[in-house]
Amino acid sequence: MGIVEGLVSGLLQAISLDVFPYLFIGSVFGLLIGVIPGLSGHFAMAMVIPFLYSMTPEAGIAFLLGAHATVAQGGGLTAILFSTPGTGQNAATLLDGPPMRRNGLGAMAAGAALTSCFLGATFGAVTLALLLPGLQQIVLFFGPPEIFVLAFLALTFVAVLGKKDLTRSLIAALAGLLLAMIGLDNVTNQERFTFGLLELRDGLELVPVILGLFAVAEVFELWVSGGSLAGEKSPALTARATQRQIFQGVWAAFKHWWLVLRCSAIGVTMGLIPGLGSAPAAFVAYGHAQQTSKTKETFGKGNIEGVIGSESANDAVEGGALASTIAFGVPGSSSMAILLGALFILGQETGPNMVTDHVDVVFIMIFTIIIGNFIGMVGGMFLVNPLSRATGIRGGLLVPVLITVIFTGAFAVQRSWFDIGITLLFGVLGYLMKELNYSRAAMLIGFVLGFAVEKNLYLAIQLSGPYFILDPIPLTLAMITIAFLAYNVWAIVTHRRETRGHAD
Amino acid sequence: MTTRILRHRKPFSVIGWLIAIAALAACQQPPPDGAPEKTGAAAYYDGRNIRWIIPYSPGGGYDEYARLISPYLEKHTGARVDVYNLPGAGGMRGANELYNAPKSGLTIGVINGSALVMNELAGMRGADYKIAEFEYIGRVVADRRVLVVSLDSGYTSIEAIMNADERIKIGATGLGGSTYVDAVIVNEAFDMNLDIIHGFDSSSVVRQAMLRGNIVGTWGSWGSAVDAVVEGRHKVVLQSGRERLAELPDVPTAFELVDRMANPDRTQAILSAWESLHEVGRPVAAPPGVPLERLEFLRAAFDGAMHEPELLAKAKSSGRPLNFASAEEMRRVITESTSMPDDIRALFVRAIKGEL
Repeated sequence: MGIVEGLVSGLLQAISLDVFPYLFIGSVFGLLIGVIPGLSGHFAMAMVIPFLYSMTPEAGIAFLLGAHATVAQGGGLTAILFSTPGTGQNAATLLDGPPMRRNGLGAMAAGAALTSCFLGATFGAVTLALLLPGLQQIVLFFGPPEIFVLAFLALTFVAVLGKKDLTRSLIAALAGLLLAMIGLDNVTNQERFTFGLLELRDGLELVPVILGLFAVAEVFELWVSGGSLAGEKSPALTARATQRQIFQGVWAAFKHWWLVLRCSAIGVTMGLIPGLGSAPAAFVAYGHAQQTSKTKETFGKGNIEGVIGSESANDAVEGGALASTIAFGVPGSSSMAILLGALFILGQETGPNMVTDHVDVVFIMIFTIIIGNFIGMVGGMFLVNPLSRATGIRGGLLVPVLITVIFTGAFAVQRSWFDIGITLLFGVLGYLMKELNYSRAAMLIGFVLGFAVEKNLYLAIQLSGPYFILDPIPLTLAMITIAFLAYNVWAIVTHRRETRGHAD
Repeated sequence: MTTRILRHRKPFSVIGWLIAIAALAACQQPPPDGAPEKTGAAAYYDGRNIRWIIPYSPGGGYDEYARLISPYLEKHTGARVDVYNLPGAGGMRGANELYNAPKSGLTIGVINGSALVMNELAGMRGADYKIAEFEYIGRVVADRRVLVVSLDSGYTSIEAIMNADERIKIGATGLGGSTYVDAVIVNEAFDMNLDIIHGFDSSSVVRQAMLRGNIVGTWGSWGSAVDAVVEGRHKVVLQSGRERLAELPDVPTAFELVDRMANPDRTQAILSAWESLHEVGRPVAAPPGVPLERLEFLRAAFDGAMHEPELLAKAKSSGRPLNFASAEEMRRVITESTSMPDDIRALFVRAIKGEL
């Protein structure tokens, strides 16, 4: 089957009556799962799996991927309106989403987030389609040496995030790296920093850490300061005003199309690399958006570009992750591992044969991502109004509800009571960090990339010897890292000099 | 104001209601009309909930098996089977939880048999269960381990690997993990000088390294290797087990190579111990102390479920092999696996601890 033929057949199947209803139900289900903090894409997919046994492969794929595609959109809404990341990949949205809400522009941020998610996912899906012919060479590009250097490059974005206070950001990032070391070390079989607790043997789970650092910390703040999430400045908007804001947000996302494109490209690239996941992709995209923005100073205070950048990256990741899954049957993320298992259940072969023999199935996936995200975008818009009204509720009523939902989400990941404690601990830590102006984003990046940096460095040395860094690709990437770092240090130094000049 | 708040919390409450309704429906299912009155254990299980502990996350092989089998177990027990994922500590968290579960017979679990036996032998911290004390219900599948190599590597037979001039790189996940233990044990049994590179995050990353040509091959279960083999990218060069697998008629088992060794007795002893670990496979067990009547009922129900033609067909089409073994056989297998000669046991303990 040729690619064009497959494209047409895939599209026709995706919108046929046998498939589309499942796609629709899946997308709405994913959106709602995303709204609930702690429940993420692979949870939605795992819940769908038992239904697959009685489905045709096409319907099953649409149902499953639809549920997965919209999760980030739902999570973005929660991130913006409740300062609680609905899923891990929305953590970067917290940097500028909630400040916009406090400025009375919550609905606009939500509209922009939903749209950039859709655009990012579409970009990811289209890229996947374009890459199909040369997919295998591209995925094989990334081995331990390349991933090590790339992860390091991503780590240097910390410098950008912490431009205002580099020292504190570095402290936070390095503390994050230390947190990543907790648990059984794969290489030496030694337990590190577990204090003899069996629960810490597998290391800290990502979701409780994110929920604690960002969500619980925010709830604490609301509790301490009183008032409501919406903030003093913004009286509750009428439904019509909310609607108008949403469409302004949609328009803003289209207006920043160049930014969306660049951040989506970052997302796709990071998705291609197995094991990096979508949370760092969003942060890297955020850092890039800030770096290239004309209004750098307002980042973190409610700049819509920050929302657009991170949300377009976190859904574009899936296109990249899907690429390595399809090309070799090597899953790029935990969700993709579930997808792979599901494809097995549905009797579909993955790997090169899928691209040559079942290219229509690949296109069903591509169209599912695009259509699913479109449904998520429209469906999400209907959720904005009711949800944003809830942000007007005074803290005394909202805090208990939020705390219940957050802790349930933290528990649900592994059914672990211990994780509830972790969430609480990181909640206190996150609150203190926020009050004392330490970057929580820097800590999270350090935490997430710590694994990738350490493990891949070890493997790179084992496989290619200590001089792996001198191989052409790692060397090029290392040069870029150094240049990037140097530019930033230079920018910080001049920035400091300037502000000092002003003070004089 | 109050009504407004209630109205706008809809997305949460709708889900809550759905869960509540589902739970109610589950509890209040009336017995089907005309069915014969159930007695004894059958009456006890009828309409109750069985919690089936899976010691790994949703989406993995263990989870897939459980979700594949649970409808048939429901049919044969009359109970509702809840698949309950308790990931952590390499499967030990779920096993500990199962070991200490209430003795009502309403909690069962599948366990990673060979890993649990080895962890107990090595006295690993966190192994708070006694593998011999579990009440076994039956086995889902036995492990068939295979050594796969990528076809691009140029090594396409075990002879070529054994006689290679360079040190061949074999990938593995964590130090002391099953892919690592297989590699070092076989290395030791045949005095091979393979370079075992561990520290890969998961078996899929190992496979990617094979594709890139960073390593030649890896150990793994036949179930996880079958895809790439069918597609013609990987080739199995050696398999565990005493008999060749029907799907792999041309691949020698490790036992077939014993005669070539200078000291065949030692090789045979190592391989026998290794094989007895694989035979434990993935058994379903209940905690010690469950009333015998309920155990017998569960065993009969599991036996029935595992022999449902529909399940067998589904398992076959989705590439998930089933090797049922009865509770009795499981007890024999466990005894065999835990009673290795001292020198062999010491060898395995060193392998698990990563000292080999």
